[in-house]
Amino acid sequence: MKKTPAFNPTVLLAAALLIYPLIFSGAFYLDIGVTFLLAAISASAWNIVGGYAGQVSVGHAMFFGLGAYAPLLCYTLFGWAPIVGMPFGMALSVALAVLIGIPTFRLTGHYFSMATIAVAELIRIYFGTWDLVGAAIGLQGPATARGWWDLTFRSELPYYYIFLAVLAFLLGLTFMIERRRFGYYLRAIKAGERAARSLGVPVQQTKIKALALSAAFTSVAGSLYSIKTGFIDPESGFGILVSVQMVIIAALGGAGRLFGPLVGALILIPLQTATNTWFGGGGTGLTFILYGGIIVLIARYEPGGLFDLWEHVRPRRWRRKHAA
Amino acid sequence: MLLEAEAVSKAFGSFFAVREANLSVVEGEIVGLIGPNGAGKSTFFNCLAGDATPTGGRIIFAGQNVTHASPERHAQLGIGRTFQVPATFEGMTVLDNVMVGAYLRHPHHNDARDHARQIVELTGLSTQTDMAAHSLGTPGRKRLEIARVLATTPRLMLLDESLAGLTPTELQEAIGLVRKINEMGITIVIVEHIMEVIMTLALRVLAFNQGHVIASGKPEEVVKDEAVIEAYLGHGRHKHRSRSA
Amino acid sequence: MLLIQVIVGGLLLGAIYALFSSGLTLIWGMMNFINFAHGEFVMLGMYVSLLVVVWLGGGPAAFGFTAAFALFVLGVVVYLSLIRFVLRGPMLSQILSTFGLALLLRYTAFWIFSANFVSLPQTSLSGTINIAGVLMPVPQLVAGVIAVMLTFGLHLLLTKTTVGSQLLAVSEDRGAAMLMGIKPDRMQALAWGLSAGAAGIAGALMAIAYPWSPSVGETFGLTAFVVVALGGFGSVPGALFAGLIIGLIQGLSAFWFGPIYKDIVVYALFVALLWLRPQGLMGKA
Repeated sequence: MKKTPAFNPTVLLAAALLIYPLIFSGAFYLDIGVTFLLAAISASAWNIVGGYAGQVSVGHAMFFGLGAYAPLLCYTLFGWAPIVGMPFGMALSVALAVLIGIPTFRLTGHYFSMATIAVAELIRIYFGTWDLVGAAIGLQGPATARGWWDLTFRSELPYYYIFLAVLAFLLGLTFMIERRRFGYYLRAIKAGERAARSLGVPVQQTKIKALALSAAFTSVAGSLYSIKTGFIDPESGFGILVSVQMVIIAALGGAGRLFGPLVGALILIPLQTATNTWFGGGGTGLTFILYGGIIVLIARYEPGGLFDLWEHVRPRRWRRKHAA
Repeated sequence: MLLEAEAVSKAFGSFFAVREANLSVVEGEIVGLIGPNGAGKSTFFNCLAGDATPTGGRIIFAGQNVTHASPERHAQLGIGRTFQVPATFEGMTVLDNVMVGAYLRHPHHNDARDHARQIVELTGLSTQTDMAAHSLGTPGRKRLEIARVLATTPRLMLLDESLAGLTPTELQEAIGLVRKINEMGITIVIVEHIMEVIMTLALRVLAFNQGHVIASGKPEEVVKDEAVIEAYLGHGRHKHRSRSA
Repeated sequence: MLLIQVIVGGLLLGAIYALFSSGLTLIWGMMNFINFAHGEFVMLGMYVSLLVVVWLGGGPAAFGFTAAFALFVLGVVVYLSLIRFVLRGPMLSQILSTFGLALLLRYTAFWIFSANFVSLPQTSLSGTINIAGVLMPVPQLVAGVIAVMLTFGLHLLLTKTTVGSQLLAVSEDRGAAMLMGIKPDRMQALAWGLSAGAAGIAGALMAIAYPWSPSVGETFGLTAFVVVALGGFGSVPGALFAGLIIGLIQGLSAFWFGPIYKDIVVYALFVALLWLRPQGLMGKA
């Protein structure tokens, strides 16, 4: 069905995101907005390798954490503006991605997933002992801005628009990939590796590229996080909850769909904020019981997430609407 | 000689699934592989396709030694295959399935799509272009697999029981399609149980049993071969079997 | 002398690792499936033991059997309600199913029991024994020895009994097994029960000798992965040797480098294995 540009959902969404902070300008709402964008960026990055290519990483926090530590480390060691550390984080993440991908992508999917947990945990525990990166205490960013380049803002508004720009860029890139050979190859790998090979798809290489790309952007998300928060420690960088959040957000909305992670974040971030507020300290525990339950339900009933659920439900409504 | 398999063996431990099988295929031919289940023809077929690595012998394609080459390499060189149980990309549309194949020789999106459309047209799938692969029945999926492989512009196509489970009308259409593909200049090696397919399409036939090639030649001759008949109907037909009281 | 104690201690702990890892390897070998919640099964076995002691005043035999039985049932239920369906599905489903289950179990345990470390009240097994000059805590000794016996017992069950050969038949060739009248679904449910039961009783044994909290599930899960990777996926004898080796390596790492390194070394070993020898010591990749 062709829709006139005024009702194009993508345009509407973009408009909504752009004007959101102008309408909901309180610090509380702004914070949710920023958290939402960050979650959408990480989950969209995960989506490239986990959703499109079907290689389920449950330890993506390793890339997030590296990206989060790099800027603050550069600041702490050399006094540089934290943003300068972002490319270093990306480079490290890409290197790590290749290091993990080469041996594990030759084996069945489960090996890769197990390896991602093991490596993320390994790094988390190690960073907790490593004085250079602040051990268990972690690192901090500049307390007050020395200049605009420190990106230390008192209001969250500038962060909101920076993150929105990054999200737009990532989604735009993903959209382009979807329409090109790389995207088709990713989907073919997910749908049937053996068949993909027989058609000349360079499966090993493609998976590694997907993981590297995903790692790079996850690292960016991590950098943005630590620059905004001004703080990082092993748990907030490499903790399993970081990995879980990425996975559940992408999977709930629809893994392998362009806007899947966005939809997932739209639902889960407010939900998470609500349960944290209502249950106070016990909230985080309850939130993750809920997450666990949601993940199991998705796995059992609708692995394609809400987008797939919508498509299964929609034909019936369409038929009823157009009957007789 | 487009394809030469010389004394190809595939052993799993001490069990030989294929034992010293030879095959020479001239460009433009259609060759059939027959034999009862477990005879080794599928394993041999997988060796030709690069899905299995022979433990003995070698396979030469267009002058290149492909004995240890990966399936991807096979595709690049121009060897394509279908799967006995259709392995179409279920969640993707017919066109997208074929495009994955088309991208091998047409890296750019528009070229790939145009080429894929042509192939979809050629294989009679145009009415289903935008349907998801999983909504096609098994005959549709088998046809889609053929289209997908065709899109890789192969020189040699290995068809693994691609014509099984079809109604008589569908079978005739499929036979016509295979013939059309062959007339485009593509060499075909086909594993098949359906005699009609073998008799009408194949110029030459190889019969397998217990890992060996037990007969080869024109279809009419091979089908009448004693060893072949015995293989299908069970060994021991001419032997005495000791029975416990 | 201290070194010998560390070695023995490591081996005893490794024996328990071997026991619960053999359950994981059984499932892998049979269904090409990894249970990401396996560590949580062990953790639950530990808490079940605690509850039996605290509520029912039961001794080791009581809570041992209860843990084994309760987890056996849980394993079968998980298979029938969840695993059976995702086995046929995409990889995302398969991985998320037990990963989500792990979170569910782990955080429910946090919620019910809090994050505090607990241990069993003094049981009849306590004190230390002096064997040839080496001082060994009785609980650890008993737990380790029983663990070895049970792992060996599982191996015998699989290789020497009819049920065992039926299980192995399904893992070798589903189709052929079906033709022989074996019901794969039933066998797979049984395998899940055995796997979880082994984890449960390993938890009970663990509880006798070591303190714990809900967080141990994650560590045990990863340890099980490493043991299974080292021992060869699908091989129970492999899991036994690998478990002992991993326990030993852990003990020595803690002794030489410090307690925080005991997990780091094990995880690093896992990564090294993936690079160098994914099929492990004695199994199919």
